[in-house]
Amino acid sequence: MSATIFNNIEQLPPDALFGIKQRYSKDTRSHKVDLGIGAYRDNNGKPWVLPSVKLAEHSIHSDPSYNHEYLNISGLNAFTTGASNILFGPDSIAIKESRIVSNQSVSGTGALHIAAKFISKFFPEKKIYFSKPTWANHQAIFQAQNLQCDSYPYWDAATKSIDMEGYLNAIKTAPRGSVFVLHACAHNPTGLDPTNEQWANILDMLNMGDHLVLFDSAYQGFASGDLNKDAYAVRLGVEKLSDNVPIFVCQSFAKNVGMYGERVGCFHLVLPRQSNEDETAKVKAALSSQLNKIVRSEISNPPAYGAKIVAQILNDENMTNQWHKDMVTMSSRIIKMRHSLRDKLNELGTPGNWDHIVSQTGMFSFTGLTADMVKRLEEEHAIYMVSSGRASIAGLNEHNVDHVAKSIDEVVNHYSSEAKL
Amino acid sequence: MIRSLSSSSSSSSPISSSSLLTLRNIRYFSSLIKNIPLAPADKILGLTSEFNHDQNNKKVNLTVGIYKDAFGKVTPFPSVRQAQNLLNKNHSNSKYNNLSYLPITGCKDFETNVTNFLFNDSINKPTLIEDNRISFIQTLSGTGAISIASTFITKFLSNEIIIPNYSWANHSNILQKNGFKNNINHYPYYDPITGKLSINKWKQYLRSTHSSKSTMPRSILLHASCHNPTGVDPTLKQWEEIIDIIHELKMIPIIDMAYQGLETGNLFQDCQLLKLCLDESRYPKGWKNGLFLCQSFAKNMGLYGERVGSLSIVLPPGQEEGSPESVMKDKINSQLKRIVRGMYSSPPGYGSKIANIILSEPDLKLRWIKDVKFMVDRLNQVRLMLYERLNWNDLINNELIMGCLFH
Repeated sequence: MSATIFNNIEQLPPDALFGIKQRYSKDTRSHKVDLGIGAYRDNNGKPWVLPSVKLAEHSIHSDPSYNHEYLNISGLNAFTTGASNILFGPDSIAIKESRIVSNQSVSGTGALHIAAKFISKFFPEKKIYFSKPTWANHQAIFQAQNLQCDSYPYWDAATKSIDMEGYLNAIKTAPRGSVFVLHACAHNPTGLDPTNEQWANILDMLNMGDHLVLFDSAYQGFASGDLNKDAYAVRLGVEKLSDNVPIFVCQSFAKNVGMYGERVGCFHLVLPRQSNEDETAKVKAALSSQLNKIVRSEISNPPAYGAKIVAQILNDENMTNQWHKDMVTMSSRIIKMRHSLRDKLNELGTPGNWDHIVSQTGMFSFTGLTADMVKRLEEEHAIYMVSSGRASIAGLNEHNVDHVAKSIDEVVNHYSSEAKL
Repeated sequence: MIRSLSSSSSSSSPISSSSLLTLRNIRYFSSLIKNIPLAPADKILGLTSEFNHDQNNKKVNLTVGIYKDAFGKVTPFPSVRQAQNLLNKNHSNSKYNNLSYLPITGCKDFETNVTNFLFNDSINKPTLIEDNRISFIQTLSGTGAISIASTFITKFLSNEIIIPNYSWANHSNILQKNGFKNNINHYPYYDPITGKLSINKWKQYLRSTHSSKSTMPRSILLHASCHNPTGVDPTLKQWEEIIDIIHELKMIPIIDMAYQGLETGNLFQDCQLLKLCLDESRYPKGWKNGLFLCQSFAKNMGLYGERVGSLSIVLPPGQEEGSPESVMKDKINSQLKRIVRGMYSSPPGYGSKIANIILSEPDLKLRWIKDVKFMVDRLNQVRLMLYERLNWNDLINNELIMGCLFH
């Protein structure tokens, strides 16, 4: 073994979004627009520190007892309790019956990773189903734990709406007791969520198949500005499935608190109802010990700073109120930009129907632009987005929306006239 | 009963009756999940949780490795407090603080500052950085570094590891859950009867358990200083004997450096193991399958809960730009990124920004070096006071222990 075995390691392609970021920062055109980013920007295209976060930071920094001591393995209690309350709601039956185990996680990815490790340890034979399409990193997180991944139909490109028939049929035909990963709100990348009636049908169908449900909740409050509205699916799931299957929820505070880089998140496991309270307590203790063991083996205990900020916001009435206003500020600016872009495309008479931009929700719009069109947008007009046609609406503002609309109009016309030739 | 209780039933009839729902409660997942056993409480942090519940006002917590001042309080070092104030005041200044995502492998400034601190300041080997031989990522403190090293190594390089008997209680848990599974063995390290290092048994073990037929190298975990939990470290001469054997047997060293500065009070003197391993006059070809350095600022900056640390993979010589092997670092970095992306996407910012300020502002760096010395002096003073009351010689035996947090 004289030759080094390092040489056999394969080089992986760079992250697609990273490539966009790199090309964007090298671009010298002054009118360039970044619609690739998955983070909120204000009307001047700048990152925005929420006023509620500023209040919380100030209060923590001026606390004489502030220190950097280790948190518990399961995280900061004031944070995990607050996180559970806003997610499941003040009247949650699962909270009242004490059926939830919560562990602080390294944001949403960390929570999904805990779920994947937990499933691979105790239910390794289960198949994991994701919407088609889904967040680029979803499958990779579960595949890294050697779990088998599959997909269910979601986006119907022809109608730019949810393929409900395909979706329900996939649930029906999946092996009994599979795992279904659902986007709680603001589906990434399509921005398209089921209606309340559709959620009821989906959850009933999942219940019939004894499927285990995993909600990825990355945009609560960011999508509509209303925490309760954006938690509708999770709460309906708890209501409908409580007598049958456990529910996993992977919760991130990256977007709704705007603390992307501080990695604040929470993993919740909602137990199904047990025969009595003692039994619930026993199962909960066992699950909590197993989750802690996973956390201890990877990071020992979660990062403190961001969790302290969020705990402060969730447990102080003034700050909570300010935070609610902040979420409205963010979501309403994004909704305004959706309308502005759609209206401008209509005014320009751009071929096609653009109403889906307005009906989609959250950070992104699945524009329906083809990979060629996206390429031309970048080359000819300095507008950057993912080749799937996913545009980050947060990157739009009053100063650039005209340019973006005109450019989309140009590329769409360019390719439709080419098609006619 | 419309449906049988067996999980093989595949009836598709719509279920709406609530009485049926309650019957189903005993089925399938509820029962599977019920069978999950209780995992044992963590040996160290579990005691802290008991401590927190204890009502006795004379209670003392001697379990977890956190430094406390003369009043039993956890207070940030003056240097850390200054860096924190700078960070907090300059909130809108993007040099210090913004809340955006860090890159997957951490902030570039952090890499520059930390590799400079570790390989230039600490062991005086700036050429390792200049020659493109360090593959670096920011990690969630020491545990994060070991778990990623372990995942990476078991994916590509090695499937067996040996760790000292005794070792930090969490070591085998980390290694087991991150790829080494049950292929973890213990090498003789400490003799509880004499209270000394089992140097000869250790050397014998390395040779006697070596298999020349094995296609993959073995990995070995080494504590850089302040061996946890025994507090007993090899002398430089003993390290030389050990590292010569490890190098000859082509093992992969993983160095856990969690206590840099806490042994002697001098951050740069506590790196003799790392310095020896990377001594080019002794090992001119370096470590063919890499040397893995897992490092943490938890203890020496007191940033425990902020989770600030790093993993450096030191590559063999020949990585200069344009050389045929220079792609090795790119390949390794791409694989490390994939591992991190599947675990937590990107590391937390706050603590690493404090470390950045301390390491990049010369005045603060000097202040920090003094803070570490002050802390270790206090620990030694406490040790001396304990010796005066108990008369245990081991407590002040310099060969056995200096400034470590534990005994």
